[in-house]
Amino acid sequence: MSLGGARFEGFTWRPLGRRDPVVAGLDLTIEAGERVLLMGPSGAGKSTLLHGLAGALGTTIAGELSGTAQVEGRLGLLLQNPADAIVAERMGRDVAFGPENAGMSRDEIWSRVDEALASVGLTYGRDHFCAALSGGEQQRLALAGVLAMRPDVLLLDEPTSMLDGDTSASVRDAILSAAEGRTLLIVEHRIEPWLDHVDRVVVLSAEGAIVSDGTVRAFLDGPAPAGVWMPGMPTPAPLDVPADLVRPDAEALSIAATEVSVELVTRTLRGTQRTQALTDLTAAISPGRTTAFTGPSGAGKSTALAVLGGLLKPGGGMVTPELRRWRSRRLAGAVGWVPQNPEHGFLTSTVGDEVRHTARKLGREVDVDRVLEVFGLGRFATSNPYRLSGGEQRRLALAAALAHRPGVVLLDEPTVGQDPSTWAAVVGWIAAARSAGATVALSTHDADLPLDVEHRMRDGVLQ
Amino acid sequence: MRSVVLRANPLVQLSVGLFSLLGSFWIRSLPVALIALGAYVVAGLLLLPGWRYPLVCLGFTAIAAVTIVYSTWRLGGHDVEEAVTAGLRIVVLAGPGSVMAGYVDPSRLADHLAQTLHLPARLIAAFAGALQKFTGFGLAWQQLERVRRVRGFGPSRNPLANGGYAANMSFALLVQALRGASATSIAMDARGFATAHDRTWAEPAPWTRLDRWALVVAALLGCVPIIARVAGA
Repeated sequence: MSLGGARFEGFTWRPLGRRDPVVAGLDLTIEAGERVLLMGPSGAGKSTLLHGLAGALGTTIAGELSGTAQVEGRLGLLLQNPADAIVAERMGRDVAFGPENAGMSRDEIWSRVDEALASVGLTYGRDHFCAALSGGEQQRLALAGVLAMRPDVLLLDEPTSMLDGDTSASVRDAILSAAEGRTLLIVEHRIEPWLDHVDRVVVLSAEGAIVSDGTVRAFLDGPAPAGVWMPGMPTPAPLDVPADLVRPDAEALSIAATEVSVELVTRTLRGTQRTQALTDLTAAISPGRTTAFTGPSGAGKSTALAVLGGLLKPGGGMVTPELRRWRSRRLAGAVGWVPQNPEHGFLTSTVGDEVRHTARKLGREVDVDRVLEVFGLGRFATSNPYRLSGGEQRRLALAAALAHRPGVVLLDEPTVGQDPSTWAAVVGWIAAARSAGATVALSTHDADLPLDVEHRMRDGVLQ
Repeated sequence: MRSVVLRANPLVQLSVGLFSLLGSFWIRSLPVALIALGAYVVAGLLLLPGWRYPLVCLGFTAIAAVTIVYSTWRLGGHDVEEAVTAGLRIVVLAGPGSVMAGYVDPSRLADHLAQTLHLPARLIAAFAGALQKFTGFGLAWQQLERVRRVRGFGPSRNPLANGGYAANMSFALLVQALRGASATSIAMDARGFATAHDRTWAEPAPWTRLDRWALVVAALLGCVPIIARVAGA
């Protein structure tokens, strides 16, 4: 195998706690310098292949591995959850980690750090705290860390999934420029913008087998594989979710924010980072409507949701009603909130228990089996939530937060990492809740999401 | 003046704890204990940038000290002075080090451990990566707290139930930390850490005049119990 090549031979992986392998007997060879787009439905094993090449399976990640996954040359891997990739307290040192490992000179390290940060559009400066970045900004930081190494093989797991259209385009340019003459294996759900820039498309089935492998032309001319966002395909129709699963079991509140300001403070003994997340936000959400906060990463979308839901104390201004003062049980009855990082939302050890947990606390009935079926998680009822794929975890977090039918539904980037069918399920749930009279608010950069009201934000201010 | 502690290099910061530990072995009487503790309190008032965090550290150290006082009093013939001396010895032994540990910047510490003390580079880089995770714990705690509150499992008015809540939150944070550690180790290896045989460092590890003076002050503070004892206190 030449420098920059990668190969799977009889590659089989069964994670600990799963009965069946995620990927079984897979053979795939990627030539040096090839640009490959890897796609497939949520849970097909795309991230597993990247982890396999990184040598993490059977070592850092527990499970049963057979066959081989080899890569020749220096590797750069971008993980799905960017917070996990942070290895230093401040941005500059974090991006410098790869060049330091490569034994570069100090001048070369900082030149690469500055170049990589600029290429992903992070302009805060080297000494900015990594913990003070938003989810999308952390994704760009992690990418900068990979790009600064100029690796022989770039493995990128959904590198633009948390970014808005404009930022995605510039980050994509940065990736393509860094990948010039190198091997690129990229996992994405929204493939259209990548198709002009890759040599080959590999499609996995839900069972982790290769169903299509060829040029972009051959892929576009062939039959559309299941679970893939094909270019030009119409937006999938939202799934018809039965109203009894989503009809609010509590009053759907109207919530208004008036001139709300929030300053997020990341404090350590060695320094404090203050970020003005919201400035004089005046917005309202009301029953029977879907209100979206949109805008680039770091615009304050997630903060706006948290303030409206009584999860964050505003520094100035007023939120009515003041849910922040409600006791936990009362708040849970009224509000369902889906966090951006799904793993933060898990409270139990099985998928089924996760869905019934809040409802049981509130004394409400939930048809767990039907809820799991809607979200395509029926076969995982007894699985541990941490054993699911990224997309499956996001759907579970949504089901767990909303199964008890709250009147106010708050969702932070609900459609990230979903294939067309699971996207339709997520959007179907949101649409059904809205139609059943719930107050729905979400932060998103998904242009296909049906919305009633859009609040576009930038730098914490409504545009 | 109050930023001296932040500007000093991490080895000097940690030396304060080392000298206090060594000095504490000379604390055998109550006057020596009081003089040593007094010296650290004065130094803290003059040089530390804030008082809340040192007080928290002192609080935790005091828990250990109280248990020592009680056991020494109980087993040592109910001698109050000896018991209090033993307790204060623990405060001098552990207090300054625990305070200074909070001011250590993981990246700067790694720079000095690797470039000044020439410890193995990969070990030190991994150590720094683990230390920096503490900064993210506050954020993770906040997110876990929000989720529990909005799902009906937030803290209540019942203090007993709140004990369970705190234990639950701590366990959840532990799970997050362990899972994050696995993912971070993958990310580190995927950024060349696994094959980093000739690792370099983005920042130098200088010893400034301030560092040298700070080291002298740390050593002098550690010598206070020795001087006091020799002087007959």
